Amino acid sequence: MRVTVISIPVRDQEVASKFYTEKLGFIIKKDAPLGGGNRWLTLVSKEAQDGPEILLEPAPNHFEPCKVFQNALKDAGIPWTQFDVDNVDDEYDRLLKVGVEFSVKPTEMGTVKFAVFDDTCGNNIQIVETL
Amino acid sequence: MTFYQSQLHKVKSECYSNKEQLKTVKALRNYLENSYYDDLNLNTLSKKLFTSKYHLLRLFKKYYGQTPRQYLMDKRIEKSKQYLNQGMTVTDTCYAVGFESLGSFSTLFKSRTGKSPKAYQKEQFSRKKLE
Repeated sequence: MRVTVISIPVRDQEVASKFYTEKLGFIIKKDAPLGGGNRWLTLVSKEAQDGPEILLEPAPNHFEPCKVFQNALKDAGIPWTQFDVDNVDDEYDRLLKVGVEFSVKPTEMGTVKFAVFDDTCGNNIQIVETL
Repeated sequence: MTFYQSQLHKVKSECYSNKEQLKTVKALRNYLENSYYDDLNLNTLSKKLFTSKYHLLRLFKKYYGQTPRQYLMDKRIEKSKQYLNQGMTVTDTCYAVGFESLGSFSTLFKSRTGKSPKAYQKEQFSRKKLE
């Protein structure tokens, strides 16, 4: 078995696709129609295009418990997932400039530095730098 | 303060309050990051960091979740991928990242990536040609 896909629930796949590619810098790997306006939409990191894919899935629109869970995590400030970066401060500055909103500013904790932002699609996402 | 932020404060005070220990393990990680091609000499490091070898190993595992050797092997594989992508030969890559034998490098590389270094390099080059 191999880890190839990590899913992130999103309310609007088109908005999510724009946010994750234009602001975060991921690139689209697969985009196939699934009927009912839904897509199998996956992204990869530019630096690791053969790495795991992020699946932007519209589950909250079709399965109420997913929406409830996603809302609960969002309200509690808990990140849905996290991405590694080389430098949290640089990434924080870059994302602020393109209008991304942070709920946790760059914070050092033990052997990591991290920050948390709103992906505008219903999730908090954490970026992490190992120190 | 969100639930997540309050949990972060709790973890910080419970797990990361010993600044001296953190300073020591960060120094060891820094050494591994910058001298991954060298022999891992914990005896020298333990003298430099005024910490016994076994305590150093325990501390590193406690804060990074891996032993220094595991961390070093991950670093070497990551660097070797980079070198292979840049067109360096398998043999040169093997020695550039600190392995002493081609056999041990190839075995570890295959166990981590599922491909031999040569097959990995071929795949990367054919991908680049397609782009």
